[in-house]
Amino acid sequence: MKLLMTASQIRGLPVVTVREGEDVAEVRDVIYDPEAGRLVGLSLNQRGFLAGRRREVLPAESIHAIGQDALMVLDESSLVAPADAPDDVAHPATERNVVGDDVLTEGGTSLGKVTDLVLLVGSTGDVVGYQVDKAGGGQGYIPLPAQLAISGVALVVPNITEDFVEDDLVGLGAAVDEFRARLGLS
Amino acid sequence: MSESFRQAIGRKVVSRASANELGSVRQLLVDAQQRRIAAVVIGRGKKAQLVEWEQLSGFGPDAVMVVDEGALRPPADDRERNGVDGNLDLLGKRALSERGNELGKIDDVTFDTDTGALEDLVIGDRRVPAGALLGSGSYAAVLDKSQEV
Amino acid sequence: MMSAVGWLIVAIIVLVVAVVIFVIARRRRRGGGVIATRGKR
Repeated sequence: MKLLMTASQIRGLPVVTVREGEDVAEVRDVIYDPEAGRLVGLSLNQRGFLAGRRREVLPAESIHAIGQDALMVLDESSLVAPADAPDDVAHPATERNVVGDDVLTEGGTSLGKVTDLVLLVGSTGDVVGYQVDKAGGGQGYIPLPAQLAISGVALVVPNITEDFVEDDLVGLGAAVDEFRARLGLS
Repeated sequence: MSESFRQAIGRKVVSRASANELGSVRQLLVDAQQRRIAAVVIGRGKKAQLVEWEQLSGFGPDAVMVVDEGALRPPADDRERNGVDGNLDLLGKRALSERGNELGKIDDVTFDTDTGALEDLVIGDRRVPAGALLGSGSYAAVLDKSQEV
Repeated sequence: MMSAVGWLIVAIIVLVVAVVIFVIARRRRRGGGVIATRGKR
């Protein structure tokens, strides 16, 4: 049974240092690699109600843990200047927002349009599912394998995903392990 | 002897050399890395002063004894000023696990009056050993993942 | 001193300026959302 949260819930979380107990930034954008099934990094805002953007970015390797109330880093040196970060974190293609993309099975069935990502609470950025607006209407949650194919504006998933469309995050949490076992993955 | 921060707040602070009362304990500043009391804060606002733990000759149940009045000093740097302003106070501090989940607020802290070493953090109805404290600052006290409920 | 109408106009201008500052500052924080890298390899 896994505890899950959406990428939208991560945006706006304080970035807190383990060693100093300081809220050094806030999460702005969540940057995701669909092929790897993981976050590659985050862009940041300064803390404070009207404060602007923060120059530094946070590569996923430097995330200590993503929790329900805060995103933890070891210390402020985990936040790096864009020049020192991987290119897809420093300069994400902001027009490539995954929200709104169609999810297709390998067999060509549409499972809906992506409205959010679903991540594992406590991990450093493992994406375990999508929240979708279902093709037939209503909201659903589908589990993802560790890696998947992407092409153009569609995200392609294995055929058996169709059997695992859940109604809520709790259902998805229960489904992920069984889904991956069925695929023959750990 | 074991005492708690809430028991100690308000206790009078006396100079051993002159027997003069210098004020009362307003806050206990902590070194989170070493998990011990670093200093005692007396007074408030611009008049706030602190006494380092090493300058105490005793932390008794009725009075905190300071070696002499010269041991009192104003905050020396930004971190001490921040501490004196109450931003680093463990009492009431948000307790956050290193996994990013809130565990509650620190209601009290127990310590050894001989050494100043922290013993337990009281969070709601739980007692967490001070050894679980990884770091503490103005936003939160961060606790080891073993303390996740 | 100004008439009551004069003060009312000043108050409205101050309110409008405050709202504009607020909206601009909040929009600066919004960002792109959830972004996927694609075709980078």
